[in-house]
Amino acid sequence: MNVLIPFSWLKDYVKTNAGVRDVAKALSEHSFSVEKIVDDDVLEIEVTPNRGDGLSVLGIARELAAVLPAKGFSAEWIKKPFPVKKYSGKDKLKVTISDNSLVPRFSAAVIDKVKVKESPALTKERLSKVGIRAINNVVDVTNYYMIELGQPMHAFDYDKIMGHEMIVRESKKGEEIVTLDGVKRILPEGVIVIEDGDGRLIDLCGIMGGLNSEVDENTTKVLLFVQVYDPVRIRKSSMSLGHRTEAALRFEKGVDFESVIPSLQTAVGMLTELSGGEVSSELIDLTGTVYTKKHIKIDYEKINKIAGTEIKKDFVNATLTSLGFVIKGNDVYVPSWRYDDIDIIEDLAEEVIRIYGYQDLPNELPGGTLPHHTKTNNFALEDKAKDFLKHMGFFECYNYSAVPGNMAGQGALKVKNPLNADLEFLRVSLTPKLLDVLNKNRGYSESVKLFELSSVYLPKKGDLPEQPYMLGIAAKGVDFLVFKGIIEALFEELGVSADFPFEIGEHAGGILSCEISFDELAGVAGSGRVYSPLTGFNSIKEDITIIVGDTTSFSEIISVVSNADVRVNKVSFKDVYENALTLSIEFLDRAKQITSEDTKAIRDGIIKNLDSKYGIKLKV
Amino acid sequence: MKLDTEAIKSEAKEMLEKSGEPGSLAEWHSKYLGKKGILRTLTSDVSDLAVEEKKELGRKVNELKSYLEEAYAGSLNSVTSIKKDKPLENFYKTLPGKKPEIGHLHLITQAIREINEVFSKLGFIRVRYPEVEWDYYSFEALNMPKTHPARDEWETFFIDLPEDPKLGKVVITPHTSNGQIREMLKGNLPIRMLNISRCGRRQSDINHVPTFYQFEGLVVDKNISITHLKGVLEYLIYNFFGKDTKFRLRPYDFRFTEPSFEVDVTCGICGGKGCRFCKEGWVELGGAGMVHPNVLKAGGIDPEVYSGFAFGWGVERVLMMRTGLKIDDIRYLFENNLKFLEQF
Repeated sequence: MNVLIPFSWLKDYVKTNAGVRDVAKALSEHSFSVEKIVDDDVLEIEVTPNRGDGLSVLGIARELAAVLPAKGFSAEWIKKPFPVKKYSGKDKLKVTISDNSLVPRFSAAVIDKVKVKESPALTKERLSKVGIRAINNVVDVTNYYMIELGQPMHAFDYDKIMGHEMIVRESKKGEEIVTLDGVKRILPEGVIVIEDGDGRLIDLCGIMGGLNSEVDENTTKVLLFVQVYDPVRIRKSSMSLGHRTEAALRFEKGVDFESVIPSLQTAVGMLTELSGGEVSSELIDLTGTVYTKKHIKIDYEKINKIAGTEIKKDFVNATLTSLGFVIKGNDVYVPSWRYDDIDIIEDLAEEVIRIYGYQDLPNELPGGTLPHHTKTNNFALEDKAKDFLKHMGFFECYNYSAVPGNMAGQGALKVKNPLNADLEFLRVSLTPKLLDVLNKNRGYSESVKLFELSSVYLPKKGDLPEQPYMLGIAAKGVDFLVFKGIIEALFEELGVSADFPFEIGEHAGGILSCEISFDELAGVAGSGRVYSPLTGFNSIKEDITIIVGDTTSFSEIISVVSNADVRVNKVSFKDVYENALTLSIEFLDRAKQITSEDTKAIRDGIIKNLDSKYGIKLKV
Repeated sequence: MKLDTEAIKSEAKEMLEKSGEPGSLAEWHSKYLGKKGILRTLTSDVSDLAVEEKKELGRKVNELKSYLEEAYAGSLNSVTSIKKDKPLENFYKTLPGKKPEIGHLHLITQAIREINEVFSKLGFIRVRYPEVEWDYYSFEALNMPKTHPARDEWETFFIDLPEDPKLGKVVITPHTSNGQIREMLKGNLPIRMLNISRCGRRQSDINHVPTFYQFEGLVVDKNISITHLKGVLEYLIYNFFGKDTKFRLRPYDFRFTEPSFEVDVTCGICGGKGCRFCKEGWVELGGAGMVHPNVLKAGGIDPEVYSGFAFGWGVERVLMMRTGLKIDDIRYLFENNLKFLEQF
């Protein structure tokens, strides 16, 4: 979450010789990233979610007090607390809290004789710098201290709280409240709300006040209200209502429970000063949860081990102290504003080392033993296949993992919260999307070849889906046998034997596709190569042309031819014309020079076998 | 049978010398070396002879064959050199060559290869882990309990499958950090892992795609410190972005690391001076940190003995930062418009 913090406001707390740019650089390198400097004064700071304490002028000032000295600048803490008022008077508030976990701390005070008017110029200017519209002196005080102290506050018109009674409870489903912005909100169950003596909802706690108890120009009695709410409920409610206010964003990150009373006192002090009012009640302070002081055992050696360099004890102690930690013997006490964030020695190490400066640590490559290299994946083979296909003229595609229903295929898993209808199912096949790509690019060229090498997601009962790597290939304007030949050549390149099964799909528009499990392909890759000793004898090459029928497959014929004699060294397809198939046969005798008499005898044998097995005859 | 191969040779030679045109050379070829040429006729004549004679004449025919073939090859060359004097010969050679059609590897593949190349030299072993994953590996074991607001940062896709009592829901992993736990649970120490995998997040705009790739580095060993992370980063940045690029670590917060950092590199556009594309001269590369002891424990590793660092960044992002390719909409990477793909 980004906050706007003016440097000029920070100077209320810290006196320094650093300029605004020095401050921005110091914060970015040691605390929070400063994203922008507006008008040479306002810092836009990205505060990480663990550091709710950083969402205030006070929080950033605390960081500066630690960071600036480490950067060689001066930093003197100059802020004095507001003088504490006496709290007494006849105004009462009856409070019932249905469950202490809703509101771990509840505090309030009533101020009478308030004159509602415009705020002073400085207040208005500061609020405008941080993007908040000034409304009146009462509301402005609450906003001003939310920014300055990080403590969201609310002001009620005391007289609009019926019976001067508050019941803090969880909402029932369907209850309604009109909030300060005039919007009627229908509540789900479990939102923290306040009900008054007349049974009206008057506050959407931690998110926004109710319109019915708003401070207006006629208000004379104000109930100032500072709380700590259960961060989880605030977050859930604010999200389900779609109403993310500055207050909610702070409450859900956890506010400093120890600063509740000082904040209330400060706000009361300021409000009485600006409005001429006076305190007319006791200080109401109900504590539902007792926080125990948290402490961590200091381990200087561990800090050094994490840093990888020696950081002196004195520096460690001084840094932690400057950040508000208290060191007593071997124990480091965590300040209340870091209560949710600091738990273990690693957390303390981070505090010390970030202030020391990550830049100042040396850069070293890890030594030690190298990991045992166990090959578990097929990356090299994938690269080989991709390179081969690229050089064969293919475009490599990357498609989304999810596809629309019409491309999903049988049994495809459904995405529960798809981004849109095009991404509703996890794909079980790469082909539909590749065909879609061909279709979308139909004007590109007469002939287009595509492939994708990616996972598909196949449901498996009671477990994660199987996620095999598939090779999907699709092409248009490519002859069937050319397409098939590319796949066969790929097998050859990968060392996969030619009988690895695959199927070519034929689609409208002369489009061909093929999808092969790359995991299976890789499983048999490299097994196809056998060394044949070279021989000094020459081979004889001959063509034979036979008449084939449509019921015999090429591989059946090849099998007969190659198995006819050990001297049939190689058989390859040469041509087919109508029903005449020409094969090219290479004969080789590894023991002696083969002669044409020998080849004639083998050839006759081949024809005989082809005839007896499949009725195939030589073309005459 | 009597055979005067010398006479054939000299006649052939004479005829060859007279021929200056490619056309007449073809005529010569058909007369001597063609299907019905002199050499073929002689060869078949010889094969009908008795063994003794066959041996003698066969050798002669073979010798004639090599003579003719050599002479032909020689003339071919000289014909080509004659071509030089033709009027368009010089122009002809300036014409584009007839290129075989080569395809295109996708940008993401190219980036993955470069990243892997850098890390493999440091002994990192590339792995890949499931994209469709249990909540446990993607969140819970990474020190992110169920109600933690940090989970909101990851716009997670859920799969319509029953929840596992121990491992939780099935999600599309929103980052490669699920690989940290899976790698640790293999039980092989030390670890230098490079996990490059598909991820998914519920977002789609000019800077985000619902499917994307990340690479995750994980090193676990005894005495691993921030200095080692910095050393590896320096090596990566020097090799991937070039020696003029500087980097810095900024404090940050991730649940699965402590301390946590954001890594910035100097802006490639302004060279670190500061411009409208960067923050005061720096651009964000991604997150990193020292592995949180709870994560080591979830991976079955004793945090008292071992420590580690990890980082996980977007492949597409790093690629675009390096090349300065200002692709105006990152979704083009998954649209497969061939006019886009052909550019890489």
